[in-house]
Amino acid sequence: MKVNGKNITEILAINRRNFIKFAVGGAVGTGLSPLPWKLLDDTAIFTQNFPWVSVPEVGEFSFVKSVCALCPGGCGIEVRKVGERAVKIEGRTDYPVNPGGLCPLGMGGLQLLYNEGNRFTGPMKRIGPRGSGKFIDITWEEAIETVANRLTDLRNKGNAGSIVAVDGNPMGSTISTMIERLLKVIGSPNYMRIPSSEDTNQIVTNIMYGKTGPVTYDLENADYILSFGSGFLEGWGSPGRVLNAWGLWKSSPLKDRVKIVQIESRASNTASKADKWIAPVPGTETALALGLAHVMIKEELCNSAFLNEHCFGFSDWKSTDGQTRTGFRDYVLKEYSPEKVSAITKVKVEDIVSTARDFAGAKSPLAVCGRGKGMLNGSVLEFMSVHALNALTGNLNRPGGIYIHDPLPLSPLADMETDDIAKIGLRKERLDNAGSDINPIHHSLFGNLSDRFSKNSQPKVDTMLIFSANPAFTLPDGGEFRHIMSKVPFIVSFSPYRDESALMADLVLPDHTYLEKIDDIVWPAGIQYPVYGLTQPVIDPLYDTKNSGDVIIRIANKIGGTVGRSFPWRNYETVLKERIKGLAEVKGGLTEFDNSVPVWKQMQKSGTIESDYRDLDDLWKRLKSGGLWYRPVFNQENIEGLFATETGKFEFYSNKIKDIILASNQKDTGITVTGDEAAMPHFEHSAPEEDTHMYPLKMVPYELINLSSGWLPNPPYLNKTIFDNQLLKDESFAEINPRTAVEHDLKQGDRVQIESKKGKIQARINIFEGAMPGIVYLPMGFGHTAYDDFTRGKGVNPNDIIVGGKDPISGHPVWWNTSVRLIKVLI
Amino acid sequence: MENQKRSSGNPSKFEWVLSLIHTVLSYYADLISNPFKSGLVYFFAGLIPALVIGWVLLPIALYSEQPQPINFSHAIHMDPDIVDGIDGDSDIERCLFCHSFRDDGTFAGIPTLETCTQCHDDPDSPWGETTAEAIFLNEYVANEKEIPWLVYSRQPDCVYFSHIAHVKMGEMDCSVCHGEHGRLDQLPAYKENRLTGYSINIWGSNIMGLKSNTWDRMKMDDCAECHTDKGKEENNACFVCHK
Repeated sequence: MKVNGKNITEILAINRRNFIKFAVGGAVGTGLSPLPWKLLDDTAIFTQNFPWVSVPEVGEFSFVKSVCALCPGGCGIEVRKVGERAVKIEGRTDYPVNPGGLCPLGMGGLQLLYNEGNRFTGPMKRIGPRGSGKFIDITWEEAIETVANRLTDLRNKGNAGSIVAVDGNPMGSTISTMIERLLKVIGSPNYMRIPSSEDTNQIVTNIMYGKTGPVTYDLENADYILSFGSGFLEGWGSPGRVLNAWGLWKSSPLKDRVKIVQIESRASNTASKADKWIAPVPGTETALALGLAHVMIKEELCNSAFLNEHCFGFSDWKSTDGQTRTGFRDYVLKEYSPEKVSAITKVKVEDIVSTARDFAGAKSPLAVCGRGKGMLNGSVLEFMSVHALNALTGNLNRPGGIYIHDPLPLSPLADMETDDIAKIGLRKERLDNAGSDINPIHHSLFGNLSDRFSKNSQPKVDTMLIFSANPAFTLPDGGEFRHIMSKVPFIVSFSPYRDESALMADLVLPDHTYLEKIDDIVWPAGIQYPVYGLTQPVIDPLYDTKNSGDVIIRIANKIGGTVGRSFPWRNYETVLKERIKGLAEVKGGLTEFDNSVPVWKQMQKSGTIESDYRDLDDLWKRLKSGGLWYRPVFNQENIEGLFATETGKFEFYSNKIKDIILASNQKDTGITVTGDEAAMPHFEHSAPEEDTHMYPLKMVPYELINLSSGWLPNPPYLNKTIFDNQLLKDESFAEINPRTAVEHDLKQGDRVQIESKKGKIQARINIFEGAMPGIVYLPMGFGHTAYDDFTRGKGVNPNDIIVGGKDPISGHPVWWNTSVRLIKVLI
Repeated sequence: MENQKRSSGNPSKFEWVLSLIHTVLSYYADLISNPFKSGLVYFFAGLIPALVIGWVLLPIALYSEQPQPINFSHAIHMDPDIVDGIDGDSDIERCLFCHSFRDDGTFAGIPTLETCTQCHDDPDSPWGETTAEAIFLNEYVANEKEIPWLVYSRQPDCVYFSHIAHVKMGEMDCSVCHGEHGRLDQLPAYKENRLTGYSINIWGSNIMGLKSNTWDRMKMDDCAECHTDKGKEENNACFVCHK
């Protein structure tokens, strides 16, 4: 066929020109069609629907009220659910502890429930090497039988003392009571508690007040806050409550605005936002407190009526042999002049003097202690000095002061039966010497256990049971306990999470998470009136896990005999109910909270109020729906009977310490001074144990409100809130002052090796003007070797290099001050 | 041609324009009279399939069609002569009879089985004789299984929409967005956009996204248009819906 004299095939030949015409035609046609515009829009929507973008279920909301159990703070939470899926955790407004507020960890709690990568889905047995995380599923019957048989064997061999329990649950909680009871009826004295501020507080109330109840602070009614490193904005106490109190302080009327003074070497968030920031050399806070006391005493700014009537050892006193002894007043006047204290702490004399005057001049001054989140153990001497400061103002059991209470009146569990094996076992000395004549006021001393291990090559521990704790990660001992664990023949973990300690276990009997079980919160940390909380199972357990309380009962029953008979309960819930009998008998307990009048205002009322429940069953029913019991009105200003010391007074000179020193070798107590001041608040110059030439710097760990630093994993949500100068990819940062940086020839982002006597870790440098020169600050909570990809291998754990000497009197590790050196890493 | 112009000396402006028109026309005449020679055929060979793809094939390929699990007649259920208690004054009240607000003010959307079984819980309840009703009774009511309805108006998760604000406060009729759905005897097939996973009712059945009724489209611009019309421009701020 020919067209215009040309062969059609010739005309239709695809040449470059024709191809371009074709392409242009196609492009114009496409542009004139809806295709590009429609697909552009659809693609945008497509990207919102990637399968890994989680979208909450659609459906009707339901709400479950419960209590948060992620820290000892015990805030009220309300969980929003769609169907059976929990979708959001919020603070409760009908709970007196936290008026609607909640901390980041509490809000991220759902990821501790649903993040399967961090959880054990059922009972398991280790098959790989220790720490490898290789387990196989077993049945609950097999798991419980294995533990019961092992404990029975050890009992029969007369070796019950080689069973050790490590417990991280709050002191006085029902689950702790059960664990301790199990150990006792088996015949092992070795029930050990992870050291915490509860220990330090309890030791101090014991030696100065003669009490065993919690130390609580009426923050909301105080008008001057002198904080010894307490991180009110870092998650101290009940974060929901403390953040609310902070708001109250900052919004109080200008003419009597609450003044906040933060004493801490690093410019933490709290220090940055306080009215005054005082930065003493870390570890000299005790001297600073005594310096303030000196000014108050010298200028006669103390509450002399209170000191004369209710205190012992303030003025000079006469001992039974008629000798005149130096009192706290003369001792402090002699030893802690502002000039001397300034030389120790590097705080200016005028700051010491003016702070003391302001503190004493306030209507309700309150000195608070407990570093950072207030959960880790502190220095007993520092806590004593802080309590002494409060006593100087007489601000005890008064609005805006410290309240010392008796423990919650929970009923003791029915008597337990001990057979001969148990009786013999319990007479044996504890592996860590705690509770002995030498250490009468201690619960557990992990340091002593480590000492014994290093001396004896053959471990005396056969079986270790670990509850709600991750000692392999959290103990500030340079990895010593991890070393002990590697040698223990058999470890049983009850952790719901795949934490470092659980990965070292031979057997895992996973507990429910706090959102799946019923458990009690005995007196949330620092709350100034009695509170008892009961967590609710917000959802049915996701996996094949069991409440450790129930598992303990089953293990005991499997062992049988007196052990089984000592655990006669049907389940853990019955134990909880048995314990609250005591609460039901107290007058004036309430189970509902009307948020129009906060409790710290109701406390001012006098007289008594009626309980809002009839009897035990009614109270139990109310607890199971609202999770709350509290007692807003109590006989608060009654000083009589407040002190249960030998003298019946607040003891500046502690007779208990005197007795301890007399009963033991004073060296063992860690107190180096002699004379009367040994039993009084005093400052111990830390021994020159390290070569300052080798390790010229100090390492001080710090805590962040948005990073879980205890045994719980960090919810991945919170990873997003960590700044690039705290964690970048897999490296965490050490903060140093620009001056220290110059001395070590370091720039922002440089990599350094931080070395102590115990070990070395690598971090990057963040130059921070808020860091004290000569100090290296490391965040706590990074450096996990366990958990999922969001947590594992991120940064370094300062605990790995902490030398952890023993704090005088308490014997617990000193985690806040480690000698280190920095070595620049050249790549 | 330029050579000619130059050679003819000094042509007037008029001649120059004429010659330009002539040139252009003759060029196109040449193109059209000789489409093969000029290559116009290649242009159209590209243009026409592209238009066909965009206008005809795209809508076919982009949407998959699925029937609803069973048919449901809104026409019957909205009839006060048939359904006891649905005799509200307005369409809204009749819609809310099943598509109700929960106690907390949130909108229940498609009713759950529980709503259906309030009237139809056993074979003795009022029934018609369709197969859909037989399936409903035997498969769903008997097994207490929720009916997996396909939702025509499901918006992406990043969109917050409050029915109560529009229906109660704004006093809008359901049909403004949902059209005549409440009068239909047959549920239309559910067409799902293969790329986005949402119903065709969001973009609208016109592939150009053109609409003649307010309910033909449910895109952001449509929300904004209505807000603007009603003098509620402040509700066009991003965070009102994208919380």
